[in-house]
Amino acid sequence: MSENMRIDVHHVTRVEGHGNIVVNVTNGKIEKCEWQVPEAPRFFEAMVRARHYTEVARITSRICGICSVGHTLASVKATEDALGIRVSKQTKKLRQLLKHAENFDSHVLHVVFLVAPDLLGVPSVFPLAATHGDVVRRALRLKRFGHEWGSLLAGRTTHPTKVVPGGFSDLPTRADLANLRRRFTDEVLPDVKEILGTLLSVADKFPEFDRPTEYMAVHSDEEYGLYDGAVQTVLPDGTKQTYKVADYRSCTNEYLNAQSTAKWTKNKLASYMAGALARFNNNYDQLHPEAKKLARTLGLEPICTNPFLNSAAQAVEMVHSFHEGIRLTDELLAEGLQEEPPAMPTRYGEGSSAVEVPRGILFHHYTYDKNYICEGGDCIIPTNQNHANIQLDFEKLVPELLAAKKNEKEIEHGLEMLVRAYDPCISCSTHYLDVRFVR
Amino acid sequence: MKYVIGIGNYSMGDDGIGLRLVEAMAERGLNNGFELVEIAHDALRLLEYFSPDTAQILLIDCVTRGARPGDHRFFTPAEVETRKCLSGLTTHESDVLQALALARRLALPVPPLTILGIEPERIAPEAGLSPALEQRFEDYVAAVLDHIRRATAPG
Repeated sequence: MSENMRIDVHHVTRVEGHGNIVVNVTNGKIEKCEWQVPEAPRFFEAMVRARHYTEVARITSRICGICSVGHTLASVKATEDALGIRVSKQTKKLRQLLKHAENFDSHVLHVVFLVAPDLLGVPSVFPLAATHGDVVRRALRLKRFGHEWGSLLAGRTTHPTKVVPGGFSDLPTRADLANLRRRFTDEVLPDVKEILGTLLSVADKFPEFDRPTEYMAVHSDEEYGLYDGAVQTVLPDGTKQTYKVADYRSCTNEYLNAQSTAKWTKNKLASYMAGALARFNNNYDQLHPEAKKLARTLGLEPICTNPFLNSAAQAVEMVHSFHEGIRLTDELLAEGLQEEPPAMPTRYGEGSSAVEVPRGILFHHYTYDKNYICEGGDCIIPTNQNHANIQLDFEKLVPELLAAKKNEKEIEHGLEMLVRAYDPCISCSTHYLDVRFVR
Repeated sequence: MKYVIGIGNYSMGDDGIGLRLVEAMAERGLNNGFELVEIAHDALRLLEYFSPDTAQILLIDCVTRGARPGDHRFFTPAEVETRKCLSGLTTHESDVLQALALARRLALPVPPLTILGIEPERIAPEAGLSPALEQRFEDYVAAVLDHIRRATAPG
């Protein structure tokens, strides 16, 4: 091992957005070890001010292109809480089905396109096209399915159009739902099985690392907490505590940190983790039996304290969402969809919501005046809630890797893998083409 | 199936031109036999439309090629090479040419693909298009309609 080391990853690849890793080691002593987030503020909380309640979710869904459904659901739920809007059982069920679509789509993308290259020892998904082309093609089909599943309910999955405060502006037809149900079994099941088979074949490649922390997730007695519920945390010894969603500030405790433009959070410990592993640790008992079966095969059981296994928990949730998608679709088909005008406000004031997006628990909070105009908003996104936890993981992992005589490249790769395991979604950027004509 | 697909980011000024054009055409019912699709930020979604039953795709994207802001041009992927240095393929870091490269490696059936590239004036965190693109918006709509009219003309 070198006594001196300079790691400066600017920016980490295969994560959504921009984050840096900086490690300086001099004469074997760690002088600096930081997870840095340099993204600029985006002021969404200011943008919603002076907007009518029907416009707010349209704006805040733009916070994220991947978790756009989750932001929409969190937004309409917080608005409904503030304005005393009561949604029907049918609306709740359709939204639960939609939430599963988003998690399914996002987890396929992360597990296959962003994490699998690490487990298979290649730098990106491109080499996998040659060695695991069938798996990549199947993953693309599953992504399309997840996207179409969500679009059927939300109009589109990036910045949904049909989800509105009080319900839906438009409903799928019975034929659409029946077709969705058929596709679950006929098209999706074989692809899910093949992809999980490949994942299981490399499950031993997840790095061994443990750092017990606090895990925060939505919890509900009705379902594996995703769409609705209270806030729950579990400590490594299994101690659980629940918080009312309205008291979310008392368990997130946002604060500023000099190495990050994003706020950090903490609760009982110096940091907590949000995301699939946090949900798994909080809500394991409510997973679908097939999802539990996969967890057992992967060697995953609560309380799991290895953050690298967040990706394994995502695979488990993929299976859960697949089966819950079938159950909810069957129920909607059996009950029949009724046209319902969106429910209307009955009061005004402030309201909060918590929804699980793929990367963890998401909070929205708004205040409305008597004309249902938004006076202020507050959004706490899961990636920000994980920054402090990533930093503390770094502080434990780097000395362990140094002690194991890992070289600079190996340490850099290990830290990048750790960051990727959290599936951070740091901000949105551009996708334009920059070309030179050659003909 | 024939598709007009828009890609980009609504919240980054002119980067959203592809989405706004597709949205405007959908609102006006101007699809003329083409299915109008927004894939937003995710270039990988383009690959979802590479199947044997896809006859052709017109992709609308913001393209920097050194032209005047607002200028537009139709071209095929074979006519250009990328100047972007991308280290990964995520929904945040990708472009259409990179997605096409992956499609070819996967031996997906790449359909005839034309790109309508529109030169941006400003790509920055802001809502709406720059004046240069806003003023010529109807020209772009007309150009797309002309393209799909010729594409669907008999013979």
